[in-house]
Amino acid sequence: MKQKLTSSVQIILLLALTAVGWTGQSYPGKPKIIRCRSLEKETFSCWWKPGSDGRLPTNYTLFYSKDSEENFYECPDYRTSGPNSCYFDKNHTNPWTTYNITVMATNEIGSNSSDPQYVDVTSIVQPDAPVNLSLETKTSAGIMYLWAKWSPPPLADVSSNSHVYHYELQLKPEEKEEWETISVGVQTQCKVTMLQAGVKYVVQVRCMLDCGEWSEWSSESHIQIPNGESPPEKPTIIKCRSPEKETFTCWWKPGSDGGHPTNYTFLYSKEGEQQVYECPDYRTAGPNSCYFDKKHTSFWTIYNITVKATNKMGSNVSDPHYVDVTYIVQPDPPVNVTLELKKPINTKPYLVLSWSPPPLADVRSGWLTLEYELRLKPEEGEEWETVFVGQQTQYKMFSLNPGKKYIVQIHCKPDHHGSWSEWSSEKYIQIPTDFRVKDMVVWIIVGVLSSLICLIMSWTMVLKGYRMIAFILPPVPGPKIKGIDTHLLETGKSEELLSALGCHGFPPTSDCEELLIEYLEVEDSEDQQLMPSHDNGHPSKNAKRIPKEKDSDSGRGSCDSPSVLSEKCRESRALPSTLQTQDVRDVQENKEGKRSWETECIASEQKILLFNNESTKETTWPATQLPDNHLFAYHSIVDAHKITLSTTNVNITSFLVGNEEHQSQYPITETLHDDMEKQREMENLHSKTDQTTVQVIKNRPNDKSPFLNPKLMDYVEVHKVRQDKEPAVLLKHKENSRKSDKYTVPGTSKEYTKVSTVVDHNILVLMPDSRIHHTSVIQEPAMEMPQNLQQGQAEKNMSYCLTVPSECKRETSGSEYMDPSSFMPFK
Amino acid sequence: AALTPLPPPAGTDPATPLLCRRGAGAAVAAVAGDAGCRLLTVADLFDRVIRHSGRIHSLATALCEKRLPPRDNELGKSARKCHTSGMLTPNGTEYAQKIPREELTHLTLKLLQAWKEPLSHFNQHIEHHQELPDDSLSKAKQISNMVHELKTGVEKVTEKMQSMGIINNSLTGMASSEATGLSISNEANMMSDSDFIHCFRRDSNKVQSYLKILKCRIMPENSC
Repeated sequence: MKQKLTSSVQIILLLALTAVGWTGQSYPGKPKIIRCRSLEKETFSCWWKPGSDGRLPTNYTLFYSKDSEENFYECPDYRTSGPNSCYFDKNHTNPWTTYNITVMATNEIGSNSSDPQYVDVTSIVQPDAPVNLSLETKTSAGIMYLWAKWSPPPLADVSSNSHVYHYELQLKPEEKEEWETISVGVQTQCKVTMLQAGVKYVVQVRCMLDCGEWSEWSSESHIQIPNGESPPEKPTIIKCRSPEKETFTCWWKPGSDGGHPTNYTFLYSKEGEQQVYECPDYRTAGPNSCYFDKKHTSFWTIYNITVKATNKMGSNVSDPHYVDVTYIVQPDPPVNVTLELKKPINTKPYLVLSWSPPPLADVRSGWLTLEYELRLKPEEGEEWETVFVGQQTQYKMFSLNPGKKYIVQIHCKPDHHGSWSEWSSEKYIQIPTDFRVKDMVVWIIVGVLSSLICLIMSWTMVLKGYRMIAFILPPVPGPKIKGIDTHLLETGKSEELLSALGCHGFPPTSDCEELLIEYLEVEDSEDQQLMPSHDNGHPSKNAKRIPKEKDSDSGRGSCDSPSVLSEKCRESRALPSTLQTQDVRDVQENKEGKRSWETECIASEQKILLFNNESTKETTWPATQLPDNHLFAYHSIVDAHKITLSTTNVNITSFLVGNEEHQSQYPITETLHDDMEKQREMENLHSKTDQTTVQVIKNRPNDKSPFLNPKLMDYVEVHKVRQDKEPAVLLKHKENSRKSDKYTVPGTSKEYTKVSTVVDHNILVLMPDSRIHHTSVIQEPAMEMPQNLQQGQAEKNMSYCLTVPSECKRETSGSEYMDPSSFMPFK
Repeated sequence: AALTPLPPPAGTDPATPLLCRRGAGAAVAAVAGDAGCRLLTVADLFDRVIRHSGRIHSLATALCEKRLPPRDNELGKSARKCHTSGMLTPNGTEYAQKIPREELTHLTLKLLQAWKEPLSHFNQHIEHHQELPDDSLSKAKQISNMVHELKTGVEKVTEKMQSMGIINNSLTGMASSEATGLSISNEANMMSDSDFIHCFRRDSNKVQSYLKILKCRIMPENSC
């Protein structure tokens, strides 16, 4: 069994083997990485040797990984370095990385990988061999030496040609085996001495980049070191030239001298002549040259020239050189090149170039005619502009760029034949920037004039500025019952602002507009008389007081605080005549346009009053509280109260008592109004200030408060109807028609008639309940009264804004209309 | 100074009128201010003939270089012998400045005369040479015409100089030189094309140089 088994196994193996053998196909053999090499440390290549291909087409793939990474990459370039190679260009070469490189061979059956090769680019640097090795022998001071020159290895990437190679040179006589090595350094040439004469040498050179490997040796160069028995090499005739078409010179280059002193003989023959002449002058033109003076120079004749080098070992003759002197004329460059900038009066400046022909050239005889060409460019320019000038020795250049520095050169050549001379030395000319003094003067004048005009204009602006502003921005017409506000706040000077605020406070306009306040003002004109101190000075003091206001009160406070108000009111003959009026007056004195403020202010007041009524709430306000509040909030009012109380007891009490008593007020008010009218008339006669006040008041009715018809207006105080509820009857006092009916809406009477405040100067203000209510709200914040808490914030604000104006009005109206006499009874 | 007018040049190059073409009356009238045809001075005439000779030389050079790319060492290889080389002409500045004006003028005319017949012969010859480009043919024809014009012009200048007493009337040898010209023109016909062109180029340059020398010797103040 066992045997059977083994035999069967053997058979199977055999079969398998034979199968392989039959087809001959297998997976590829293991490739082998032969070498990796970098030419210059920036790129490198690897080559591999394929293994057996398993008789199938086999693909080779090179994979590499970097020491720092896990990833495997495939060869970036299989072609550049030839078959079975991989080229890593600059982007794929990192000198500080070790590359792990594997080559995998793949065919249909399978694949096979080479052993990994670890590559450090720095250590595999091996440049190509140097090229262009040339050798020559030289003799100096009787010692013969070998002079070797070569070039660094060429690189595919020319831009990286800055590598410094170290070179090594080896040489040996041709028949010997041992090389003699000479370390050269970084130079690309080498002088080798101690050579055996008459021996042929083989020379090679190689290079190394930094600490890499040496390159291959370059291809061999051979040189025969002449022994003492060799003749000199053939000299070469370099060129012949005639500088002035009269004489000419030929130069030659000697070949190797064969290690012996060598003589050179210059021989020539002329066309059509068999005779050979020797050079007439070896010295004039320097070594290795022959100079032909005028006598020896023939034109339209061809010279056949040869140079013969001779040493003791023999001689060698150069190739013949044929010269027709007519066509070898190359003059010297022109001289005396001068550049001159001409500035004619009426046109742009131009450049005049002039020069002289080369001193050797005899142009006057007509034998030599020169033509000139000049070139010029801006100093920083790249390209020359070339101008053929012809035979003239002067040229005018127009249209040069001003402000640039130009370089100019000139050369010359004989007409119709010969060649151009060298360029003359560079000449520079600075083209001035293109403006003239004339222009400057004009510009200066223009500048001065325009600045003068500017000055004058700005001056007049300063002087007439306001008028101009008024002209340009005409005064804003009086608003038609709009809220205070924006205009004022935007434009207002502090004074105006103050006054405006004083009248209106600043309630949110929207709120204000919804409120209607009705008030009744009563003033005891006696008060004025009673307090002469205040009254007397007023008109004159007016101006002074205003600043005071500013000082003592900031912002709306000046208006808000009754103390100030009352003060003002007292001071002004027209009475508190509202801060507004005062202010307005002041403003008016300055600017008429400001008047509108006043009216606006008043109008808004009225509105406010209206709104107050509208937003009526129950009159929860205790009658007694009112005075208290006022006292508290407006300290100065205390005095006023006292005064008014003394003078107008009845009024106050009646007001305070309650709504029912409002009736009693009316008579008072009526009388008041009568008196007021009178007083107003009187006041009209008064000072201008008073007039203004009156005007203001008159304006009020005109200012369209719905309640105050122009007619009624004058006499009327406040009356209010509430829109929400039943229309409230307002107190109106007309001289002509006293309509009690108006007051007699019973339900409303409660609400409307209250004395919100009694201000000094005998002014009584009747306020609707709602309004009082608001007032209380205002004051409450300051006092921290419990009622305060009950009120919404909006209301507070409203009330705040409302109260103030109302107060002002009270005062105003009082001051103007109150007839002290009417109060007498009350007293 | 009476200016004898020349017949209009037979040349096909109208751009280079050697002389005023309006005929005698016009030329004389020109003194009175005919702007188109002023009385030509000797200097003007010299300038014209010099320019004309220059153009001839340029044409010859162009023709020469077209046919024979300038290979320096080819110059002497053929050991050519121009048919005019037998003439003794000044070959250096010193000699050219020493030689009497009359003789220099005479030499110039002789040179031009010597090329008249060979040039027309050359034209006929190369007309049958198909390998020559048309350009060369036209150039050769142009040269032939211009040489004729130039000769006329130089004769004109000579006459004028003689009439003005600048040179004496010792140009009697002209006739004999024409005879010699004929004899040597046969020699010229034997030359190869390249030699012919080369020789002509050289002689055209000679002519130009002599004319310049002459001009500067006669009128040294005139741009010399």
